Amino acid sequence: MRGFHIYVLVAAAGLALVYAGHLNPYWMHVAIIAMFYAILASSWSLLAGYAGLFSLGHMAFASIGGYTSALLVQWLAVPVPLGMAAGVAMSVTIGAFIGWVCLRMSGPYLAIFTLGFAEIIRITFSTEDDVTAGMAGLHTEPLFNTATRLPYFYTAFGLLALSLLLMGVIVRSRFGLFLRAIREDEQAAAASGVAVARFRILVFAIASGFAGLAGGFYAHYIGILTPSIGGLDLMALLVVMTVIGGMERLPTAVGGAFIVEFLLELLREYGQWRFPVFGVILLLTMRFARNGLLTPIWVQFVRLGERRLQATIVAPSADREDQRA
Amino acid sequence: MNEPEILVRGAGLTKRFGGIVANDAVDIQVARGDLIGLIGPNGSGKTTLIHTLTGHLIPDSGVVTVRGRQLSGQPAHIYAGMGVARTFQLTQLFGRMSVLENMLVPGLTRRYSSWPDALHRARGYLEFLNLSHVEHLHAKNLSGGQQKLLELGRCLMLEPTVLFLDEPFAGVHPRLRDELIKRIGELHRSGRTFVVVDHDMESILRISQRLAVMARGRKIADGVPADVRADQAVLAAYAGL
Repeated sequence: MRGFHIYVLVAAAGLALVYAGHLNPYWMHVAIIAMFYAILASSWSLLAGYAGLFSLGHMAFASIGGYTSALLVQWLAVPVPLGMAAGVAMSVTIGAFIGWVCLRMSGPYLAIFTLGFAEIIRITFSTEDDVTAGMAGLHTEPLFNTATRLPYFYTAFGLLALSLLLMGVIVRSRFGLFLRAIREDEQAAAASGVAVARFRILVFAIASGFAGLAGGFYAHYIGILTPSIGGLDLMALLVVMTVIGGMERLPTAVGGAFIVEFLLELLREYGQWRFPVFGVILLLTMRFARNGLLTPIWVQFVRLGERRLQATIVAPSADREDQRA
Repeated sequence: MNEPEILVRGAGLTKRFGGIVANDAVDIQVARGDLIGLIGPNGSGKTTLIHTLTGHLIPDSGVVTVRGRQLSGQPAHIYAGMGVARTFQLTQLFGRMSVLENMLVPGLTRRYSSWPDALHRARGYLEFLNLSHVEHLHAKNLSGGQQKLLELGRCLMLEPTVLFLDEPFAGVHPRLRDELIKRIGELHRSGRTFVVVDHDMESILRISQRLAVMARGRKIADGVPADVRADQAVLAAYAGL
């Protein structure tokens, strides 16, 4: 049966929605934060995994989305969803600008440039404490005035589902094909007629927009926003999540976010020592499973029930090749 | 008799890299139906000229026109959109994408192209190039000769009017080289225009109608192969006599 994996995922999602009401507040919070990271990991996968643009400024766009929304709600008393939409728009605009500025950069140059950009944003938010309350933290308007976290759970779930749906459409379209071609060889892509500059700017803008969406939600969920959301620590955590899961597929990146976030909580009793564990897992992944630990599992899962001779779409065969690589 | 249409024209093309003049005021015209062999010793500026004529390098001076439209300074995808396709000296494929996906990329950049149409054309060209049986393999897993064929196929997906092939026979097994020569000949007879750069003189002379010779960044000869081979300047510069 084609699309068997889709039915399984939809069923699992339905179960999660039904069961969510039975989660205790602590694990519900962990699940909400995991979904926040899942939006970030999947959008970073779009940028770094599909297009090969290894940006280290992704969390900065989350902070831009978060602060834009929080400040607009505070200053202009706009409704929170409108503030979040403005945060997305701001992230898209700045993302497009950064994408344009670093058009000719790739690899380590792009990574260093975007890291510098992220630090500028973080330090600006830290320093301008008249506006942002600096490291003391900016108190934000909650998205829901309820005692339970359940509405936040459903909202995070909806935002993650919507993000994955939109990104799924993108990666399965010719846009996604062109992004992978750009990742493989920009010069050959241009020779094939791909408008490399336009697509690089577009993917930067789109990925930044999703980061801004996640940041906006986080700002109005957590209640207090500090500049550390855009710091290198969280960016490193995002890289670990995406790479361990598998950065060249959206579902594996999401899986990586969930696994790492839940493991971080399960290993909490080990304090700071749980972080080196993930460092070691990352090293082992890069050495022995460069496509991510979840990629082979996902490929097998997709192939469940699939008729082998139905080869009208290229992706399944490419998956088989990826497994071999 | 009507003169054939000039598809690509380079006028006074100069390109410097630091103190090295890779192309020095080169004039070249590619007319519809041409099959030009572009030859010259290593470092004579052949690849730089192809880069410039296909939009991958911007000349320091001089202009490139494609079908009468000046394109100097435009990005390479504009040239591709105008029907100028090219291969690379060192094969540049989308290594971790399947053979079929490699074909689909240029196929889907064409205006009004659809997935079913691009798939249909891709499979047709893969059959023409004897690559149908490997369409689901990653391009990086093909043999060197198959990679050259795939690069040619990727060009064909643009439905180009002119193809620049940079060293298509380099490092290719003689049997696959013959296959390539055969395919280039068939495509030329079907109306495609070619400019082929290579060091393999035997292969170049087998297919070329016209030879252009580069030496030290300048074009020193351009004409029918028999005349060019007898040219003393060519013998001195190219053969080192």
